[in-house]
Amino acid sequence: MAVIDTLLSGQLLFAALVTGTLYALVALGLNLVYGTMRMLDVAHGDVVMLGAYAAFWAFTGAGVSPLLAAPLVALAGAAAGVALYRGVFARLIARSSPAQAARLEANSLLLFFGLSIVVQNVAALAFTPNNRAYAWAGDVIHLGNVSMTGNRLAALLVAGSVCLVVALFLARSVFGLAVRAVIERREAAQVVGVDVDRVQWAAFALGFGTAALAGVLVSALEQFSPFSGFPFTIAGFIVIILGGLGNVTAGLAAALLLGAIETYGVALTSANWRSVLLYGCFVLALLLFPNGLFARRLRA
Amino acid sequence: MSTILEIRGLGKRFGGLTALQDVSFSVPERGIVGVMGANGAGKTTLFSLIAGNARPSSGDIVLRGRSIVGLRPDQICRLGVARTFQIVKPFPSLTVRENLRTAALFGSAGFRRAADADAANEPLLGDIGLRAVADQPASTLTLSGQKRLEIARAVASGATLVLLDEVMAGLIPTEVARMLETLRHLQASRGLTLLVIEHVMRALMDLCGHIVVLHHGQLIAEGTPQAIANDPRTLGVYFGEAV
Amino acid sequence: MKDLAPNAWWAALWLATLAVLLALPFVANAYLVGVGLSLLMWLALTQSWCVLSKMTGYVSLGHVVFYGLGAYLVVVTWQRIPLALAVPLAGLAAAAFAALVGLPVLRVRGPYFVILTYGLAELVKYSVMAGEAASGTASRILFGTPDLTVVYFMMFGLALAAVALLTWVSRSRFGHGLRSLRENEEAAETLGVPVVRYKLLAFVLSAAIPAMVGAVMALRSTYFVVGQVFDPMISVTVIAMAILGGGDNARGPLLGVLFLGLLSELLWASAPLVYMIVLGVILVVFVLLVPDGLLGLLERRRARAPLA
Repeated sequence: MAVIDTLLSGQLLFAALVTGTLYALVALGLNLVYGTMRMLDVAHGDVVMLGAYAAFWAFTGAGVSPLLAAPLVALAGAAAGVALYRGVFARLIARSSPAQAARLEANSLLLFFGLSIVVQNVAALAFTPNNRAYAWAGDVIHLGNVSMTGNRLAALLVAGSVCLVVALFLARSVFGLAVRAVIERREAAQVVGVDVDRVQWAAFALGFGTAALAGVLVSALEQFSPFSGFPFTIAGFIVIILGGLGNVTAGLAAALLLGAIETYGVALTSANWRSVLLYGCFVLALLLFPNGLFARRLRA
Repeated sequence: MSTILEIRGLGKRFGGLTALQDVSFSVPERGIVGVMGANGAGKTTLFSLIAGNARPSSGDIVLRGRSIVGLRPDQICRLGVARTFQIVKPFPSLTVRENLRTAALFGSAGFRRAADADAANEPLLGDIGLRAVADQPASTLTLSGQKRLEIARAVASGATLVLLDEVMAGLIPTEVARMLETLRHLQASRGLTLLVIEHVMRALMDLCGHIVVLHHGQLIAEGTPQAIANDPRTLGVYFGEAV
Repeated sequence: MKDLAPNAWWAALWLATLAVLLALPFVANAYLVGVGLSLLMWLALTQSWCVLSKMTGYVSLGHVVFYGLGAYLVVVTWQRIPLALAVPLAGLAAAAFAALVGLPVLRVRGPYFVILTYGLAELVKYSVMAGEAASGTASRILFGTPDLTVVYFMMFGLALAAVALLTWVSRSRFGHGLRSLRENEEAAETLGVPVVRYKLLAFVLSAAIPAMVGAVMALRSTYFVVGQVFDPMISVTVIAMAILGGGDNARGPLLGVLFLGLLSELLWASAPLVYMIVLGVILVVFVLLVPDGLLGLLERRRARAPLA
C-alpha cells in the first residue's frame, strides 16, 4: 500500500531526522535559557532567524560557506547572549524586590513577546520582509537507496554532534551538574555554593550560541524571512514540555518524535497541514501537562 | 453538647508517603479543639482534607451528620467551614475590606450585595484590630496583620467551624496574648467551633478544651490539656523516652 | 464626595467620545468614518478581552480566535441565512466554542495559559486554512454587503454592548469573585468562590462580542483572507491597548484604545512595520515599568495631590 511505502521510506526517515535534530538543537538552547532564567523566552526563535540572516549575508556577500560561518555566527550569538544577560537581565534580577520579581516572572511572556515583535519588525525594516534563500551543497548524494542533498546531510551531522556534545557536557561535567542544579532549584544551588551568576551567563552563551548555529543550518536548507523564527520557538517549547525542563536527553528524544510527527504527517496529508500538526502538538502538550514544565515538587 | 465534626478512620497517602493513617476523633459544637504534633505529623493535611483542598484516600469526614468527602472547597465553605492557611494567602491588591467582602459574599453568610457584606464586616474589623488599615491593599500589611486578615476572612465567611492553622507562628509574646483574647472573644460572641493547629504550647493549653496529638500521621493521644501534658506517649514524642 | 471630580471627568470623556463617534457618519467623510469604525472595533475587542483577562488574570493571547471564527461563519453562511441571524449566530458559535475548550484550557495557569491561547488561535487559523485549501476555495468575496453607515452603527452597538458588559461584570458580585480568584485562586475557592465555573463563564462571556465584531468587519472588507481574520497581531494589539490603559474596569481600555487606535491610524498606512515596533515597545515598557498602565499613573498622581 502506498501509505506503508511512504512510512518505510528511507527518504522520509532522513527528512525526519534532519528536522528532529534541528528542533533538538533549538530546544537545547531554550532549555538552558528558560531553565536558568525561569522566564518564557519566546524570542528564542528570533535568534535562530538572526543566525540565518548572518549566514545568508556571509554567503551571498562574501562567499563564505555556511560550514565556515557556523562557528563564527555561533560565537557571535553566544557573545550577544552574554551581553544581553549582563546588560539587562542581571541588573533586572538584582534590582527587583521579591514582589517585583514574582510579577516579572508572571508577565515575562508578554515582555519577551514584545521583544520578539520588536526584533522581527526591525529585521523586516532592515532586511525587507521578503523571503531569502541561497543555494549551497544542493547536489544529491546517494547513501544506499536513500538520496539526500549535501546541505541536509551537513545540517544533520552538525546539529546532531553539537547536541550530543552539549548533552554529554551537561550530563558528565561538574559545570554541567551546576547548570542542572540551577535549573532544578536555583536557591538550593546557591546555598550549596554554586556560582549562579556564572552558570547563568554560561547558560545564556550556550543557549544563544546554539540558537544562532541552528539558524545557520536552517538558512542552508529552506527559505526564511524575519518572521520565520517563531515556529522554532513553538517547536522548542513542545520539546521541553514533552521532555521535561532541564532533561536534555528526554528532550532529544522528544525533538526526534516531533520531527517525525511533522515529516510523516505532512507526507501522509499535505504541506498545508504542517502548521496544523505543529500547533496541534503544542496545544495538546500544554493541555496534557497543565502544571507546566517544572520538575514535579513533592507536595507538602 | 452535639458533635459538629466527626473524623472517621481518615487516611491520606501521597504516592508512597502516608500522611495520615486511621485518624478518628470528634469535635463538639462550640468547642475549641487543639491539634498538636511535630512537623510532618499530618496536621495541615488534616485541614486540607476537611476543607476540601484534597481528597482522603480512606475514611470519612462527617459535618453535622453529613459526609463532606468529595465536595469542592467552595461547597464545603458554603456549608459553614472555613480555614486559614499556614502560609498566608491574602488577595494582595484588594483592600482589607474587599478581602473580607469576598468571604461574606461567597461563604455561608450568603450576602448578595457588596454594601451589605461590608456593613456586616464592620464589627469584625474592630474585633480583629484591622480597622485602621481597612482600605489599604492587603499586600501592605505586616505579617501579623496578614495573619489576622486570614482569621477575619474565615470568620467573615459566616463559618461556624473555623480551622486555624498556626495563627500564632512568628508572633511575639504580647501579640500571642492579644491573639488569644481575640480568638476567645470571636468564639464566644459568634458561637464558633474552633479547630486549632498550634506549636505555641502555652496558647494551645490556654485556649483549648480538648487536644488531639498526631505523630507520623497517627493519632497517639487525646484529652484535656492537663491530661495531654502528663501523657507518657506525648511526652515521649516531644522529649524522647521516659521523662 | 471627594471622588466626584474624577468621576465627572470620566463621564465627560465617555460622553464626548460617544457623541463624536455617533455623529461621525453624518458629518465626516468616508475616511474619518473608517477611523471611527476602527476605534469602535478596538473598543469592543479590548473591553470584551478585559472581561476575561483583566478580571481573572488569565491573560489570553488568542482573543483573535473568536474574531476569526465570527468572520468565517458570516462568510460561509453569506446569502444562505439572513444577516440579522448570521451575526448573533456568530456570537453564539464562539461562545459555544469557548464553552467546549474552556474547561481543559483554563486548567493551565500563568504564562502557559498565555502561550496556550496563542497556540490555540494559530491551530484554528491553520486548520481553517487547510480546510479551505482542501475544499479548493482560494478566496471568498462577499457581494451585496450593507453600506458603511449600517456597518458603522452595528459596530457602535457592539462597542456599547462590550462597555456595558465589562462595566456590569466589574461591579457585580460575579466580578468580585473573579477578582478574588485572580488574586489567589486557592484562597478564593476555599472562601466559597466557585472558581472553575466562574472562570469558564468569564471565558464564554468574553467570546461572543469579538465574534460578532469579526462578523461585522467581514462585511466591511468583503474580501475574506484567513490569515488576516486570524492575525495574531490583533490579539497583541488588544493586549497592548489594555495594558496601556490599565485597571480592571471599562475606563482603562477607553484610554488605551483612544491612544493606540489613533496612533495606529497615523502609522498603519504609511509605516506598518514601525507601528508594529511601537506595539512591541509599548508591551515591553509597560510590562516592565508601568504595569498599572495610564490609569495607575493617574491614580498615583491623584493620591499624591492634596485632597480637594
